[in-house]
Amino acid sequence: MASLQVVIRQFLSTSRRAVISTIRPYSQAVAENDDAPVEMENPYKKERKQCILCKLNIKPDYKNYRLLSQFQSPYTGRIYGRHITGLCKAKQALVESEITKAQNSGYMPYYYKDKAFLKDPKLFDPENPIRFHRF
Amino acid sequence: MPTYELALMLRAMPKPELKTTLTRVSHAVFNRGGIIRNIENLGFRPIPYKTSAHGLVHREANYFIFKLDTATKAVADLREEYSRDVDIVRQRFYKVQTDEQPACTLEEEMLPPAYREEVQQMIEVGKTQVNRFTYKFKYNSGLDYYPFQK
Repeated sequence: MASLQVVIRQFLSTSRRAVISTIRPYSQAVAENDDAPVEMENPYKKERKQCILCKLNIKPDYKNYRLLSQFQSPYTGRIYGRHITGLCKAKQALVESEITKAQNSGYMPYYYKDKAFLKDPKLFDPENPIRFHRF
Repeated sequence: MPTYELALMLRAMPKPELKTTLTRVSHAVFNRGGIIRNIENLGFRPIPYKTSAHGLVHREANYFIFKLDTATKAVADLREEYSRDVDIVRQRFYKVQTDEQPACTLEEEMLPPAYREEVQQMIEVGKTQVNRFTYKFKYNSGLDYYPFQK
């Protein structure tokens, strides 16, 4: 019984509010202008995705071998692929060529990662690639 | 005159000798009409892998970077001269890249395959090719014999 009363009271309160809103005085012309659709940009548009090097505006360079070694596997010294590093095509190509240059001019090892850089922060997780790979 | 970077590895040697080597290296550039913008000393440190040069095995070296402007034709000549220099363990010439950076295309690359431009192009190219899995020889091709083995 008590619950029924509560329901009725709620109904009454909402209906009263509805009545008030319907009898609220308004001028036709102003309301039309107010309700007209407004031209605006999509407020829910997502931010454009950027790779970490583009976002921070970093240009990979063969002399900056500490940065380049972050894209190297600590076990084999090989360069991680684009599906792991999450770089854009241009930046990945640049990183790969700069690593080759750094290795060639004796700044970076070929088959391992410099042990001084092993505790550097991880830019990506090789265990969770963007796309599936067979390793 | 394009700008080049010369990454040098010089063998371990005392400072006065290092000085004469560096002047020798620089004079080779000057003699060919080049200029040196900058010389950077990256220090004496172990090489990540052992290297042999001029009959000696090197495990550590003096690292230098020369930023120089020379004629393109002089680079091969310089390289040849430095290769004969017994104090130089390794030398690499790199052309300095321009600073312009293309916009990041990661957004387009992350789209599903059907929306990627390169995949669409690939499909267009595929349409112009003969599918060798479904292709069947037509007997009305004008040949009066079957050209393949049966």
